[in-house]
Amino acid sequence: MAKAEILSIPQRNLWEKIKTFINAELIHILAAILFLLLAIFLLYPILAVLIKSIKSPDGLTLSYYAKFFVKGYYFQSLLNTLMLGFINTVVCLTVGFCMAYLTTRGPLSLRKPLKFIAMMPLIAPPYLFAISLIILFGRNGILTMALGLKWSIYGFSGVVIAQTLAFIPLAYLMIENTLMSLNPNLEESAYDLGASETRIIRTITIPLLAPGILKAGLLVFVMTIAEFGNAAILGGRTPFLAPDTYQMIIGEADFEMGSVLSVILIIPCIIIFFLHSYLLTGKKFTTIGGKPVASEPRKMTPLVKIPFLIISCLAGLVILISFGVVFISSFTRLLGVKNEIVFSHILNFDSNRAIYNSIQVSLIAAFIGAIIGTLLAYVIVRGKFFGRTFIEMVSLSGFALPGTVIGIGYLLAFNTPPIKLTGGIMILALNCVFRFLAVGVEAGISKLHQINIEIEEASADLGANFMTTFYKIVLPIMFPAFIAGFIYTFMTAIVSLSAVVFLVSPGFELAAVKIFDAAAYGEIGIASATTMKLVVIVIFCMVILNYITKKTGFDVSQKKRSVTV
Amino acid sequence: MRGKLGLAMFIAILSVAFMMNHAQAQNVRAYMGLSPENNVKVVNFVKEKTGISILQTFQSFGEIEAKVKSEAPNFNADMITGCGSPLAFMAKKNGWSVAYDSPEWKGMTSEFIDKEKFWFNISNFSFVLVGNRDKLKEKGYAMPKSWKELLDPKWKDQIVMPSPFSSGTANMIRFSFLALYGEEQGWKFIEALDKNIHHYTRSGNAPTDLVGRGEFLLGITSDENVKDRLDKGFPLLWAVPEEGIGYDGTFAMILKGTKVMDVCKKVIDVFGTPEFSNMMAKMGYVTPRPAPNALYGDKTPKYIKLDLGYAAEMRPKWNDVWKEKFRTEFK
Repeated sequence: MAKAEILSIPQRNLWEKIKTFINAELIHILAAILFLLLAIFLLYPILAVLIKSIKSPDGLTLSYYAKFFVKGYYFQSLLNTLMLGFINTVVCLTVGFCMAYLTTRGPLSLRKPLKFIAMMPLIAPPYLFAISLIILFGRNGILTMALGLKWSIYGFSGVVIAQTLAFIPLAYLMIENTLMSLNPNLEESAYDLGASETRIIRTITIPLLAPGILKAGLLVFVMTIAEFGNAAILGGRTPFLAPDTYQMIIGEADFEMGSVLSVILIIPCIIIFFLHSYLLTGKKFTTIGGKPVASEPRKMTPLVKIPFLIISCLAGLVILISFGVVFISSFTRLLGVKNEIVFSHILNFDSNRAIYNSIQVSLIAAFIGAIIGTLLAYVIVRGKFFGRTFIEMVSLSGFALPGTVIGIGYLLAFNTPPIKLTGGIMILALNCVFRFLAVGVEAGISKLHQINIEIEEASADLGANFMTTFYKIVLPIMFPAFIAGFIYTFMTAIVSLSAVVFLVSPGFELAAVKIFDAAAYGEIGIASATTMKLVVIVIFCMVILNYITKKTGFDVSQKKRSVTV
Repeated sequence: MRGKLGLAMFIAILSVAFMMNHAQAQNVRAYMGLSPENNVKVVNFVKEKTGISILQTFQSFGEIEAKVKSEAPNFNADMITGCGSPLAFMAKKNGWSVAYDSPEWKGMTSEFIDKEKFWFNISNFSFVLVGNRDKLKEKGYAMPKSWKELLDPKWKDQIVMPSPFSSGTANMIRFSFLALYGEEQGWKFIEALDKNIHHYTRSGNAPTDLVGRGEFLLGITSDENVKDRLDKGFPLLWAVPEEGIGYDGTFAMILKGTKVMDVCKKVIDVFGTPEFSNMMAKMGYVTPRPAPNALYGDKTPKYIKLDLGYAAEMRPKWNDVWKEKFRTEFK
């Protein structure tokens, strides 16, 4: 026995050494792995697009860019895109703010229903509104015929309306989140001191909200110019960059020009991203406001209440009608033209496989995304190594990268060996993971900022190794961030179209793509029915997730309390 | 903590279960460019006759062409079960397709099977003029009898047709007009027609639905869905204008590198059977084996004289001309 012990000593020493090394360096090892992942799945595809846009058979060239700026068509497309993004951002932020203000400061009876309506578009593909607008305002639309309208939905205005409706919830959600975490005391004391409500909003609420509004603006802008479903269905002959890029890659295999358009699409997004990061430095104090505080409903002055109510109700009404129309249309032969009730759309099961694939992809993406996001947040906050801010920037850049660009990047980067992923399901999931990573990372960072590193140090001092500390202390604290990342990735992945549309392959089609195809093709009934099925499934999944989070969420808050005590 | 662990386990198990669910035998991945509902009919037919499941995504001919071009030689599909002549000829030339001497295709004319057996034309389709009966009546317009009539300014913004980049139908429309009028006059006709076109749709069948729904008065569209939409009660009128119509095949072929060669061969075999021709003819396609056509009836419509090989060769150049003409203007 003694002999055996002696024999095993050197081995155990080595093992101990490895263990100590891992223990001490784990955060660096982790950082290296995560960086490698980011480099492969986020930077490399973007680089591939950039290279494609300047590479010709005989060396580097700018001729494709020259073509872009020489042809009025492309330039017009750029102008339209920027205009669309700008108008949409302003409108979405305004409506989002009004709704968020009402649901956090307004009359209690209004809060729940308004919030519900404002969030509704989140669970449907953004181009649901293109479908409903065609049914209502198309040339043979219900309202067009009933009111004898002359206005044409096919063109710039139609796209703006559809995109606005689609991205109001995004603006609402971000602004509401910040509003909730704002301490209402400041507003209330100003109110008690006799300041008018308009003045409070102007001088207190909005300045404090600035970071949230900025972020919401960035997200809405990027999503608006990249999600091309509405523009492709309603654009008519009005060119926009994202659907043009789609047409070039999918229809013509013109990867050079498609890449040029992508790079040009990225530029405004990157500018706003940096602007946003720059403006936010030093303003972080407002975003971490601790626990959300529901404020007492105050009497709102009519001067504020009435316009806010009008704007919110109008937007809410249009959203409700849009969903209603799509719902009815999924049971009607041809809504507005041949109003017979049929079940053939709903009972058309061709899209079942696509829906199944969508759920599968979204679950895988959400799971991987939440893990990577949480780990990244940990490495960014707790790590002390060179390049930490770079990792942070890269992992948050998902906010600013248009989906079309990432989609094309993946197509270019992973279509040939050594890393051939196209034609499978993992490319769809990975694409979603890295596109929507930012939310999980950010949630994780803000959670980690809330706890003092001393707790982890104490644990280490008491002899716990890194893994134990991570498992027993860090993980429980970060669990809400994990859930936030999971839910966000799941919900966005299941309805988003702009990137995955380039990556679907036979046997791996997705519901969002299927609906887009049906709508673009003119099959309004099928498109509506599939949308409805998807909406029901997303709601179902959300209810389950919510249930599980609630059950475990209690556990989390318990733990946190014991940790802080 | 236990709850969280449980949740994590639950999610992990769910994800893994989903990932495992993909091993199935007798599947073949195909690019298939008929109209979506006709795709499904073909898929169901093949499933019923052979037990083989064709996994397919809906794409227009032009999109399949772009996809195959960009994927070559690492295709993400085993075969093509519906693409236009340009890709069929290109695939043979570039060695992307595999020759197969199918017993079921013996004795068919060279219009439907390649001499060296690299492609199989499962059926011809055409483009026709469609109009909305009710809307035309409302406006007091008669259904045009010739293509020339479409140039009348009264149709401004009232006509839809597909885009030749994504749609094989539109490519066919273009090469047919160029063949009908000669290249120079043909382009002039297309340019004049463009003034009346509201917009170009992605799919060749979209105009049938858009006109059927009354969104537009007239459409130049693929004939694939016309029969089906008439049966469904859409207020559609359709016509073969007096100058005639063009045609293109719907080509099937096996792609190089497939791991399920035998399955692909079985699918090609099924396409050669009289039953398959019968089914396609019922939808309005002109089939390799003679069968009563549900759309055109007994009499053959007047066809424009075409050279598909030449048209396929000219496609890239004509695409560039199209871009030059229609992608420059400031609006």
